Amino acid sequence: MIEKIKEIVKKLFKENKIDIFIGYGEGTLPLRATPCFITGQDDIKKLVWNSYCLNNLAVYLSGFFLPQLKKKDVKLPRIGILAKGCDGRSIVGLIKEHQIPRENLYIIGINCEGMIDIEKTQNAVCKMQEIEIVSAEEKSGKVLLEDEDNKKTELKKEELLADVCKDCQYTAPLIYDVLIGEEKRKTKEKERAAFIKEFEKKPLEERWKYFQEQVSKCIRCYACRQACPNCYCKECFADQTKPKWIGATDDISDIMFFQIGRILHQAGRCVDCGACVRACPMGIDLRIFTYKLIEDVKEFFGYEVGISLEETPPLATFKQDDKQEFITEP
Amino acid sequence: MESSKLKIIKKRDVLKFLDSIKKEYDIFVPMEKNSGIRFSRFNLEKDIPWNYRNAKISPKEIFFPKTETLFSFEAGTSIISDGGKTFTSVNEPKDSFPETKDYLIFGIRPCDAQAYSLLDKLFGGDDFQDPYYLEKRKKTTIISLACNKPQSTCFCTSLKGRPDNEEGADIILFDLDEDILAKPITKKGEKFIENLNSWFKEAKEADIEKKNKLMDLSLKKIRSGVDLQHIKEKLDKTFDISLWNEIHQKCLGCGICTYLCPTCYCFNITDEMDHEAGVLATSRGKRIRCWDSCMFPLFTLHASGHNPRPTYKERMRQRIMHKFNYCPENFEEIFCIGCGRCIRNCPVNIDLRETLVLLMSFQSLGKNKKN
Repeated sequence: MIEKIKEIVKKLFKENKIDIFIGYGEGTLPLRATPCFITGQDDIKKLVWNSYCLNNLAVYLSGFFLPQLKKKDVKLPRIGILAKGCDGRSIVGLIKEHQIPRENLYIIGINCEGMIDIEKTQNAVCKMQEIEIVSAEEKSGKVLLEDEDNKKTELKKEELLADVCKDCQYTAPLIYDVLIGEEKRKTKEKERAAFIKEFEKKPLEERWKYFQEQVSKCIRCYACRQACPNCYCKECFADQTKPKWIGATDDISDIMFFQIGRILHQAGRCVDCGACVRACPMGIDLRIFTYKLIEDVKEFFGYEVGISLEETPPLATFKQDDKQEFITEP
Repeated sequence: MESSKLKIIKKRDVLKFLDSIKKEYDIFVPMEKNSGIRFSRFNLEKDIPWNYRNAKISPKEIFFPKTETLFSFEAGTSIISDGGKTFTSVNEPKDSFPETKDYLIFGIRPCDAQAYSLLDKLFGGDDFQDPYYLEKRKKTTIISLACNKPQSTCFCTSLKGRPDNEEGADIILFDLDEDILAKPITKKGEKFIENLNSWFKEAKEADIEKKNKLMDLSLKKIRSGVDLQHIKEKLDKTFDISLWNEIHQKCLGCGICTYLCPTCYCFNITDEMDHEAGVLATSRGKRIRCWDSCMFPLFTLHASGHNPRPTYKERMRQRIMHKFNYCPENFEEIFCIGCGRCIRNCPVNIDLRETLVLLMSFQSLGKNKKN
């Protein structure tokens, strides 16, 4: 697949169709790839495609098309981007929210077979404290891991997939200029959905306690916000000083205000790419909350994010028969 | 150090030992939390995770908590100052540090102990004396724990560190499996052991040999490194090189690298009104300081709306330059200890070692390359 990607990117530069290409390069740590910006044919060799390409690359796009740049009559760049299913759906969301112009994008869609969760993999071998994995090699559905004592372990890739990837319904983007690999829609029962159903049965106090437990880990580094393609606000409500919405302390009420605010702003916009969860250094289970929003939006408005360019997002429209219960009976 | 000063304590006795001095000391130990290892108050029920690699958040938070009340105030009266003596801890705001007790930080890694000696230069320097930091710092005894198993992201040997680095600690411990070897470093450390002599016995030649072997092995495990010779002088000439355009490119602008860093010390000061039964009080509040990060846009935003560091490029440059150029200029020390926290936790795998190699090698080639 990587040869195919390189070939297309090479052609794009040759035919002067793009100025920048955003893909993945080799990471410096085991089980890691890293976002990679290519500006010319010489650097195409840096590109890689493997099961460590976790980052949602759509997060970089809106920065190229800031309103102040549009105003200044600056020539906007033409960007090529490698998009997995989740990245692709984020891109669609951003186009619909008028953050990025479709005509300036060349989307190379790729059918993603799921990305490996680093922590899960480490723990599958041994707790990090005991023995650290220092290298990993991927071969036909298996991952060969080597630890610091040079001991090798072979594990099935399928068992190491990130939770979001296990639940993924759209492995390839639906809007693209070229697609690598076959588009496959999965229909299997989502583990997370079942978990949410169980969680919802718990009494309010218990759910509230879980939320408090989770967000109390927060150190307000804002990595969840920064890693999220949807968090493109010029100034986040958490950063505003006039008026100041949130105290600067790590008091639970301040943290909660930020987390609730950020999460609720994701309603009808979150594509469940898992970028926030992966970025969080404190291991907060943010996805249980964002996922609930996805389920709710689907149930109340029959809307799924990033599937079509035409359908109006639920928060951008109002219908007389829109469901109201979620406001009156939380 | 004469070998007679080296002592042995049984590992299985350590919890009892700490418990026996908890009346005299407020003790902080590494503890398994739901977000990873973090320094927390000693609890007899919780064993010391002897083989822990390092704490997720550096123990700088003990002296320089994420949120700290400087003083409280009330409307209509003059400012009520606590004289810099009341401190509020990070996790347990209710549980203020008792003023009568001394602190004991037990089991921090040598790199983090070294970080304290760097922070001391800032908070206790000739120009400014920070009472909030120093109050806690001066009543603290630091017992570090040498690294038997450094991580792949450790590069302390490129700076001034080693797995058994003694700087910043009063006593250093070596984990010999069933025994713990204790080596006092400062007078304070010597006195600490002397006072509690009954818990220790003399170390034997075999213990010392075992320790030396462990440390040799440990040192060999640190495989990554960067040649940082003359980095200050080299960075003197890199402020406007085009390389910065590339280094920052994938940065998301979060605060992980700075918040987890044991030597990042930037803070913000704001006034917060008190809460009364969930309602914001209008007349009572606190002046607090909390961690801030040069990676945030708000960090340098002027009241006029102008921001001298408008993009990630300027912010990333500031972070690197501050540690490797401005601090050497001001304190004659690089403010990095090679713990690798920023490397391990960066969501987009920006590797400080890689960045430093790029900067160190850019010099000779890129003199004329300006952006």
